[in-house]
Amino acid sequence: MNYGALIFLVGFIGLASSWFGLVLAPQLQLGRQPITKIQGGNDPYPSRRLGLAEQGLQVYRANGCVSCHSQQVQQSGTVFDVVMTELGTNQPAVVAALAKLDSKLTGASLSSLPQDVVRGVNKLQADEVNAAFKDTGAKVAVQIRPVGPDMDWGWGRRATVAADFLQDSPVMPGSQRLGPDLANVGVRKPDVNWHLVHLYAPKSVVPDSTMPPYRFLFEKRKIDRHASPDALQLTGEAAPEAGYEIVPTAEAKALAAYLASLRADVPLFEAPMTAK
Amino acid sequence: MSHNVQSNPAASVNDAEPRAGSASMPVWMLVAVMVLVFGGGLYFDTYGGWFSPQVYAPYRSVNDLMAYQPVSGEGAFLLRGKVVYEQVCALCHGADGNGKPGQAPTFVDSEWVITDNTGRLIRIPLQGLNGPIKVKGVDWNLAMPAMGAALPDADLAAVLSYMRNAWGNKASLITPEEVAAVRAATASRTQPWTAAELEALK
Repeated sequence: MNYGALIFLVGFIGLASSWFGLVLAPQLQLGRQPITKIQGGNDPYPSRRLGLAEQGLQVYRANGCVSCHSQQVQQSGTVFDVVMTELGTNQPAVVAALAKLDSKLTGASLSSLPQDVVRGVNKLQADEVNAAFKDTGAKVAVQIRPVGPDMDWGWGRRATVAADFLQDSPVMPGSQRLGPDLANVGVRKPDVNWHLVHLYAPKSVVPDSTMPPYRFLFEKRKIDRHASPDALQLTGEAAPEAGYEIVPTAEAKALAAYLASLRADVPLFEAPMTAK
Repeated sequence: MSHNVQSNPAASVNDAEPRAGSASMPVWMLVAVMVLVFGGGLYFDTYGGWFSPQVYAPYRSVNDLMAYQPVSGEGAFLLRGKVVYEQVCALCHGADGNGKPGQAPTFVDSEWVITDNTGRLIRIPLQGLNGPIKVKGVDWNLAMPAMGAALPDADLAAVLSYMRNAWGNKASLITPEEVAAVRAATASRTQPWTAAELEALK
C-alpha cells in the first residue's frame, strides 16, 4: 500500500499548525494594536522617539546589542501598599484603628506623612485596611505595586507589554541577558554622555562590566587648537594621551540617544501600577 | 524436473512486496493523550487569558486585571500631587516645601499657597512669576518659569492641592475644572505675572 499522500498531508498539517500558532495567531492577537493611552489620563503612549533616538534603534540593531541585552521586564505578581496621606483631626481614632491592624506604623510616627500603613498585601487586605480608616478622618491611598525579581533588581517598575514597542521597527525584546535588561535604562541612566563614555570604555564607569568596548563608534583625533565640544570626558586608563581627544561618531550619538530614550515606566491598563 | 526448481517456494516469498501491518493504539496511550489534552485545556483556561491582547502574566483575565486598576479618590489625588511635586517643583522649592535660599521661596504656611483666592495660585505655575514678591515677610526678586504650563489640568490641580495640604498646610483642594477655567481665561497671556498684578486679582 502507498502511504506517500498520507505522510505528506500529516507533515503539511504539522507545519501549517506551527505557522498558525507562531505567526498567524500572534499577528491576529497583537498585530493591529493601536497607540494606547497612559492609564489615568489622556496622553497617548508610546510617543515616537525623537529623530536621533529613532536612528539609534538601527545602530542598536546593527551592532547586535539585542544578542546580549533584553528589553522586557517580567513581573511575577502584583501587591498593594496602603499609604496614609493625611491624619485628619481625630488622631485618637486613627491610633486606635492602627492598633487593630498589623502595621509597622504606630501613633508615635504619625508626625510626618505620607507613610506606609501596610506594604505588600493583597487586594482584599488592602480594602480592609482602607475601610478601617473610613470613619477616622484620616486619608489613605491604596497603591498598586508590581513585584518580581526584575523589580528587585531595579530593571523596571512593571512588566513590559506589547504596547511599549508600538513605535519601534524592528521590535527587539531580546531573550539573552548577558548584560542587564535595557527596557528602562533611560530611567536609570538619563545622561547621554554617560552612555557615550560607557560605550567607549564600559569598565571605566561600571567596573564589573563584561561588555566589549565599542571603540569603532568613536574617533580618536589630534586636538587642533580647540578641543571639540563633543569630546568625551574620560579619566584613568580610558583617557587618550595628551593632545588627543575621543569624539563620538554620529552612530555613537544616535545609539546613546536611543538608550537614553528607553523608558517603559508609565501605567497602562494592561500593566497597572500607581504612577510615580 | 526443471520446472520444480523454478517453482521454489522460498523464491516466491522473497519476490513478494513487503506489506505494512497494523496494530491498534494501546488503551493507556489513548488515556494519556486525553489526560494531556484535558490538562492543557485547563492550563490554558486558567492562564491563557483567552488570547486577549490585554492580558499578560501574572494576570489571568481582563476581570482579574480590573481588580488591579488604580482607585481614584482624594487620597490618590493628593498622592499624585506629591509625585508631580517631587518631579517638577522639588528641585527648587525642596521636597519639604521649605524653599531654598536664593532660589525659591517657601510654601509652608505661605500666604500665596494657602490663599482662598485660588486663581492667584493657579496663575503662577501656568505663566510663571517675575520680579519682586513678599512671601511670609521675606522679599524675593527672582523669576519663576511657567513650570505648570505643560502639565495636564489634573496634574496641576493635584500638585497645587498637595501643596495646600502638605507640611502642615490646610486649605481647600483645587479641582482640575478650576485649573482648566484659569488656563482658558489666561490663554492669551505669554508673559509671566508680577506679584502686583496677582494681588490686584479679585
